[in-house]
Amino acid sequence: MQKTLLELSDLSIKFGGLTAVNRLNLKINAGEAVGLIGPNGAGKTTAFNLIVGVHQPTVGKVIFDEEDITGLAPHVVCRKGIGRTFQVVKPFGKMTVLQNIMVGAFVNTSKKSEARLIATEIMEKMSLQGKRDYLAQNLTIPERKRLEMAKALATQPKLLLLDEVLAGLNQTEIEEAVQLIKTINRDGITILMIEHVLQATMAICSRIVVLDYGKKIAEGSPQEVTSNSEVIKAYLGDEYENADS
Amino acid sequence: MTGININKNSVILAVLVVLLLLLPMVVTKPYYLHVIIICLLWAYLASCWNIIGGFAGQLSLGHGIYTAIGAYITVILFNTFGLSPWLGLFVGGGAAILLSLMIGYPTFGLRGAYYALATVAISEGIVVLLNNTGSIGRFTVGGAEGLIVKSVGSSAAAFQFNSKIPYYYIVLIMLFLIIFIAKWIKESKLGYYLVALREDEDAAAAMGINVRHNKLIAGAISAFFTALGGVFYAMLIRYLEPNAIAGASMSTQMVFLAIVGGSGTVLGPVIGGILLALISEIIRFYLGGQLMGLHLFIYGMIVLLMIIYQPRGIIELFEKIGRRFSRKHNDEGGRSGAEDPSGA
Ligand SMILES: Nc1ncnc2c1ncn2[C@@H]1O[C@H](COP(=O)(O)OP(=O)(O)OP(=O)(O)O)[C@@H](O)[C@H]1O
Ligand SMILES: [Mg+2]
Repeated sequence: MQKTLLELSDLSIKFGGLTAVNRLNLKINAGEAVGLIGPNGAGKTTAFNLIVGVHQPTVGKVIFDEEDITGLAPHVVCRKGIGRTFQVVKPFGKMTVLQNIMVGAFVNTSKKSEARLIATEIMEKMSLQGKRDYLAQNLTIPERKRLEMAKALATQPKLLLLDEVLAGLNQTEIEEAVQLIKTINRDGITILMIEHVLQATMAICSRIVVLDYGKKIAEGSPQEVTSNSEVIKAYLGDEYENADS
Repeated sequence: MTGININKNSVILAVLVVLLLLLPMVVTKPYYLHVIIICLLWAYLASCWNIIGGFAGQLSLGHGIYTAIGAYITVILFNTFGLSPWLGLFVGGGAAILLSLMIGYPTFGLRGAYYALATVAISEGIVVLLNNTGSIGRFTVGGAEGLIVKSVGSSAAAFQFNSKIPYYYIVLIMLFLIIFIAKWIKESKLGYYLVALREDEDAAAAMGINVRHNKLIAGAISAFFTALGGVFYAMLIRYLEPNAIAGASMSTQMVFLAIVGGSGTVLGPVIGGILLALISEIIRFYLGGQLMGLHLFIYGMIVLLMIIYQPRGIIELFEKIGRRFSRKHNDEGGRSGAEDPSGA
């Protein structure tokens, strides 16, 4: 039997009158790659923020690796083994690429030489070695996206939460990034990724979860999800469905 | 190329250290030596501020409270019990650490200007308190009239010397110590964490950094060494006046010097401290008697121009010159200088 790595039960949060995430239940097995999709404002990023402790849930629980981590502070959650990237990337602009990645590596060592070793390995994996000594603020968009992933990977997580890391990339860059994410997953890191680029999500994920207005409206294989009428409705609106029927 | 640079740098460094050690033999007039001591003290204080203000990016506008608490506690203990300032400074430094934690704990968890505002408010409060406290029980604080350090003649144990030379060497050692500590922090995990949280707190937290905890550590280190600067000042001047040791001019001066020199770098605040304090002293010497405040006006203009035209600090200017020099040097050796990838 497969081991459950992450379990969300009834996870919910209200911002004033708006329920941004509404009773979300989700189980992710160790080693899986799961996609989280949904229209703009569906609550995907908020769900990530609930998992990593940026927001406290109004109700619900987050169980990670058989431990209740609901409401723990982000730096503690990171040290439990969850790495995350930000939809709007957050490089440490005045640090070099290598230094950015080393910051993450310091989670598992206090020695600078060891941190540099860990960081260098990840930097090469993410094809950033050519930019080693560049300040992060001078990187291009695709490089920033790769740096964002490298920083999260450097903390050596069991679970990696990716928030739209393919957004803003061109077709070739997307294909490269897809290969990269697949490699990360194959190396044993469980992945939960938010993505609008459906083709890419399907190429990586065996299972897709669809959020709409904070609620999970569908879950299943890419084929199941894309043929689900609720999902089509959520993405294209009622009129399309009406016209179709 | 790096090999050549390292050697050249260490040669420059060695020459500089020797020159500094020999300086009192050249500069024999006490007034000039006093000016140099004051410049080095400012370089030291700016470097202390830089640990929390530069590395960690937390704008403290009230570091005068740490010079004050270090100085007052050490002097009061000396005046009342005869406790050697060399021991008293640990009490004063410890108190500064406690104070920094008390200010930092509630404010470091908040976003925005809360910390800066808290430091201003508390330092203003402490100036008022010092001005209005004549004594606490048997401890004489001195109030607005100030507190005179009991004179015991020349005594190393009492941190009192008739000659300026011992003060010169003490402040020089203090400056080397803080440079060494700043360099060590910068190269360590703590330094990486401080710069990371300065650049982006959310990203730092997501990478396992306890933001508040690391700010508190940086704040405590900065407060302790700032307090030692206050003790030195007290024993050099032998008189404490609340507005001078705790006031806004003390607090803002540290910030100015560090920023103008290059905050967040190891040597920027040192260079800023020495150069600006020297300029300020020269202007005062030539213009001080002519028009009230004219020297401050000119000094302010110089600071302003530097911030406008050299926003990353004087240190950057030095680095540029150094780079050009080493590039030329390499070209002569038949190699072209590598582009600096991190350049502006
Ligand atoms: N801190 C907050 N305070 C108040 N409302 C918020 C907050 N964060 C998010 N929201 C609201 O919650 C809803 C969900 O936002 P969220 O960012 O999670 O959407 P998303 O699915 O990630 O969308 P996108 O695809 O555009 O990134 C939105 O209506 C948003 O305005
Ligand atoms: Mg989002």
